[in-house]
Amino acid sequence: MNPPNAAPISPQKSAFHEALLVGWQTGPGLFAWGMVTGMAMVQSGLSLWQALLMTFTVYAGSAQLAVLPLIAALAPASIIFLTAVLVNLRFVIFSAVIAPHFSHLPWYQRLVCGYFHVDMMLGVFPRRFPGPAHENREEKLGYFAGLVIPTWSSWQVGSVAGMLLASQIPSSWGIGFAGTLALLTITIPLIKNWAAVAGVGVAGAVSVLAIGWPFRLGLVMAIFAGIAAAMLVDHFTEDEA
Amino acid sequence: MTTLEYCWLMLLMTIATFICRSFFLTLGSGVKLSPWVRHALQYAPATALAAILAPDLFLANGSMLPLISNLKLLSALCAALYFMLSRQMVGTIVFGMLCFTGLRIFLA
Repeated sequence: MNPPNAAPISPQKSAFHEALLVGWQTGPGLFAWGMVTGMAMVQSGLSLWQALLMTFTVYAGSAQLAVLPLIAALAPASIIFLTAVLVNLRFVIFSAVIAPHFSHLPWYQRLVCGYFHVDMMLGVFPRRFPGPAHENREEKLGYFAGLVIPTWSSWQVGSVAGMLLASQIPSSWGIGFAGTLALLTITIPLIKNWAAVAGVGVAGAVSVLAIGWPFRLGLVMAIFAGIAAAMLVDHFTEDEA
Repeated sequence: MTTLEYCWLMLLMTIATFICRSFFLTLGSGVKLSPWVRHALQYAPATALAAILAPDLFLANGSMLPLISNLKLLSALCAALYFMLSRQMVGTIVFGMLCFTGLRIFLA
């Protein structure tokens, strides 16, 4: 098939294609999750164009869901902004996870990479590149772009479908559960030692107990408690990892 | 709310997304994380995902469900088992949704 004078595929391109295949697997989960968010936006009273503007600019499902009741109640913009920041706080931690891998890029490219770094990609990237941050830099950007395209488009297509179908799908079908299951499948491979087991257990418990905290601050608290538990177990077992 | 006000609000929320998602990325090479912090951050993805998942699986309308009538948790356990045996993401989602729908219809 290849013409004899074809240039060899660059590492960046092959990493891009590899990531596309991995990324499409998150498609059904993100589609379903986007759909739930799209339905919620329209049902909270946003018009179609308002919901479209929100999904194509904000691109942060949990923050969008959190501010819907505030917008409906005409809350001040400062409160809505603060709520969005607090609900998004977990992404600050996520940004630190990928930051060393992209430290060589110009600032605007790093800004754009951050914008597209969503929950679903979290486990995938560090698992593919467990080595030192300065290795395989060409491949990393290609791989990241290959993850962004399927995650962004499945989310947006699902979101728009949700807006259009809001009145037709009964909530008893539990479409949002598909998103939960998708998250489950990216969590399980990350639980690779006893420290991670402890971290996941503690984070889950704290998150459930602190569910009533305002601005979903319980989520941030749960992440810190989980990391502390994992570090404690590492400290006592003296895992070589 | 006027159209202009709504547009401003969406701009603010987009800035909130950028601030959080790009926080350590834009600090760039100016910030060197200590080995201790980097070790701790290894566990950030798993704990964050668990913190997002747990309320979905254990709570309904903000309160704890009895384990035996918690269809989502039962389905998720079956799906987790399926995933550990098959390592298939899409298959696991389909399997989990089938479990959930089946339980919902037959046990309701």
